Amino acid sequence: MTVFEKTDDSVVVIIGSGAGGGTVANELAKKGIKSVVLEAGKRLDSSDMENDEWTMFQKISWLDKRYSAGGWHGSVNHPTLPAWIVKGYGGSTVHWAGVALRFKEFEFKTRSTYGAVEGANVEDWPVSLEEMTPWYEKAEMKMGVTGKTTGMPHLPWNNGFRVLAEGCRRTGRTDYNSGPMAINSVENDDRPACQQIGFCMQGCAIGAKWSTMVTELPRAEESGLCEIRTDAMALKIEHDASGKVTGVLYADAEGNQHLQKARVVCVAGNSIESPRLLLNSASEMFPDGLANSSGQVGKNYMCHTSTGIYAVMPEKVHMFRGTSVAGIVGDDVKHEPARGFNGGYYLEFLSLGLPFMGAFLEPGNTGWGRSFSRAMEQYDHMSGVWALGEDLAQEQNGVTLHGSEVDQHGLPVPIVAKTPHNNDHAMTAHMVESTSQIYESVGATDIYELPPYPASHNMGTNRMHADADKGVVNAYGQSHDIDNLFVSDGSQFTSSGACNPTLTIVALAIRQAEYIAQEMNAQNI
Amino acid sequence: MNIRFHRQKKSKQDHIGVSRRMFLMTTAMAGVTTSAMLGSATRSLAAPLDAGQDATLLRMVQDIYPHPDLLEVSHYEGIAATVTTNTEADAATAKDLRDGLARIDAQADALFGMPYTEIEDPDAREGVLRKFQHDGFFQGVRWTAYFAIYNNVDVWPLFGYQGSSVEHGGYIDRGFSDITFVPQGPTLEERMAAVKG
Repeated sequence: MTVFEKTDDSVVVIIGSGAGGGTVANELAKKGIKSVVLEAGKRLDSSDMENDEWTMFQKISWLDKRYSAGGWHGSVNHPTLPAWIVKGYGGSTVHWAGVALRFKEFEFKTRSTYGAVEGANVEDWPVSLEEMTPWYEKAEMKMGVTGKTTGMPHLPWNNGFRVLAEGCRRTGRTDYNSGPMAINSVENDDRPACQQIGFCMQGCAIGAKWSTMVTELPRAEESGLCEIRTDAMALKIEHDASGKVTGVLYADAEGNQHLQKARVVCVAGNSIESPRLLLNSASEMFPDGLANSSGQVGKNYMCHTSTGIYAVMPEKVHMFRGTSVAGIVGDDVKHEPARGFNGGYYLEFLSLGLPFMGAFLEPGNTGWGRSFSRAMEQYDHMSGVWALGEDLAQEQNGVTLHGSEVDQHGLPVPIVAKTPHNNDHAMTAHMVESTSQIYESVGATDIYELPPYPASHNMGTNRMHADADKGVVNAYGQSHDIDNLFVSDGSQFTSSGACNPTLTIVALAIRQAEYIAQEMNAQNI
Repeated sequence: MNIRFHRQKKSKQDHIGVSRRMFLMTTAMAGVTTSAMLGSATRSLAAPLDAGQDATLLRMVQDIYPHPDLLEVSHYEGIAATVTTNTEADAATAKDLRDGLARIDAQADALFGMPYTEIEDPDAREGVLRKFQHDGFFQGVRWTAYFAIYNNVDVWPLFGYQGSSVEHGGYIDRGFSDITFVPQGPTLEERMAAVKG
C-alpha cells in the first residue's frame, strides 16, 4: 500500500472517508492526483457487519463526547447523542440505508421560491438542478442506483412496503416505488445483488449496498495514488502567512500527533466535525476560525424535519424481512404554501428491529409501562415510515465549542443546538396525518408516532452561497476565504431539501474533484 | 409516543385477569427461584436486598415491561436477579437500589395504605412507579429489563422477530414478501420495463 511522506506537500489531504471524502479521494485518484485520507475511526470491511442492531451501534457509531442543546427532542431524549453517524472507514455510508434521491429544482432555490421566512435563514444554492443533473447521473452510475440512469430495476417490494404502497394506491397517490436505491437489484460493479437480508443500516454484510467502504476507498488505495490512514483524528488545519492552508495536524491511535503537509485540504468530517475542525483551527490571522469571515461556520445546522410513524395492521407484516428502506413515497415533495408550511417531505418505509423499536417507540425515561408493552406486542403486525422533509436553516441552530470540557484529544467538545421552527411543527402534523390516512385505508388499528431519531442527515454548517458574506464556500465547495481549502461533505448544503443527502453529497464531490483537478493543473491552487 | 387509537379495544378483562394471577403467583415465588435465562444471573447468599425488597423488585420489573401473555415468570426473575447481581459490585449502587425500593413502598403506603406489591390494580402500580421514573435506580432497572427482553435472541421469537438473516442467505427465500392481505408488488418484468427509456 502506498505511503506518502508527512512532509510531502504535493498531496491533497482529505479529512473523512464517507460519501464526500471517499468519493473525492477516488475521483482524484482517477485523475492521477495523490491524496492522503485521514479517517478518525478504525478500518472496517464487510466481514465486520453483523445483523444485530446494538452490536453494530456500538461497533461503528461516532460515540465521542457531544452534547445536544436547544429546544429539540434531542436535548431531552438523546442529550449526548445528537447525531447517529459513523466513525470508521467508509464513514456514514456504512450506515446509510441507500436511498438515492435528487433534489428538486425548487429545493435548490428556496429563497426565490419561499421568499424570506421569519425566523429562518433561507437562501438559494449557487447551483441549479440543471447544472447538477449531469453530476447526479455520474453519481447514479458510480453508485449503481436503481432507475433509468443505470437501467437497473428497482428492488422487489417487501411486506412492509407492500402495505404502504397499497395504502398509497387506495388514497390516490401516484409517486411511490421501491427506488431509487443504491442497492444492487442485479449484480453490478463487482458487487452482488441484494439478498433481502435487512440490517442495511447496520452495514451491508455482502456489499450489495453502495458505500465508500466497498467501492471508492479500496479502489483509491489500489490506484497507488491514495493512502488512507485510519485512527487518524484531525485536530487542526494549519496555514501560512499568506493564509493558504499548508497541512493538517492529527492524532494517531496512541494519541501521538503528526503534521501531514498538503497542497489542498478537503474537509469532509460530517456537519458536526467539519465546522468544529474549522473553529478549532482558529489562529491569530483567523481568530474566528478558518474560512469564517462570513461568520457562518457552524451555523444553519439542519437535520431534516422528521418523525417515525408505525401502523398496526390487521395481519402480520414482519416488516424486518428485507431491505430496511424498501420504498419511497414522493407525492408530498412540493412547495404548496396552502398546506401551512414551506417545502415538502418524503415518506420512506423503514423497518426497525425489535431492539430499536423498543428504544425509539418512546425514547427517554418514559418508554415503559402497560401501553408501551402492549405496543411492543404488536411489533410483528407493524408497517411504518420515516417521514423526512425540508428543515429550514436557522442561524441559531448550529455547532459551537464547549467552554471548558474537552475530548480525549484535548479539543473542546461540540455542542449541537437545534430548536424547531414553526414550519417543522406544521409539516410534522401533515406527515402524521398523511401517513395515518394511508395506513388507515388498509385497515390500520393503531398508529404510533415516534419522536425523531438522533440525526443521521446532518447538513448546512459550512453552507454554500454565491455571496461570500452569506456563506462559507462557493458553488464548488471551495472556501471563499482560502482558495486551497474545500468542504466536501453535507455541511456545504445551503438548504436541506426533503431527500436523503447522500446522492447530492456524492454528486457534489465528483464535481468538486473535477474542479480541484482543473484548478491544480492551472496552478491556481 | 403519541398513540392514535382507531377503535375501541375489546375488553381487556382476560388480559388483566391473567396478569393479576401472575403477579400474585410471582410475589409468592420471589426470592426462592433463579433463572437460567441470563447465564450470569445467579443469586449470591449475600444478596443486597432482603426478601421484601426482592419481591418489590420483581413486581417492579414486571410492571415496567408487562408481557404476561408472552413471558414466563422466570424471565422476570432472571431480570431481577441480574439487577441484584449488578449491584453487588458497587455499594453505592446497592444502596441506591435499596433506598429506591423503599421509596416505592413509602409512596404506595402514602397513596394506598399498603405495600406496592399488594396493590392489585396494575395501572395504580404503574402510577406509583411513574413518580420515580427519572431516578437513576429506576432507569438502571428499566434498561436491564429492556436489554433482557427486547435485545434477547431467546425472547425475539415470542414477539415475532427473527433477527439475523445473513447466515440463512437473507430473507429473499424466507418470506420477505409473503403477506396476502395486500396485492403483490410488480413482477421483475414490470420493474424492468419501468426503468427503460
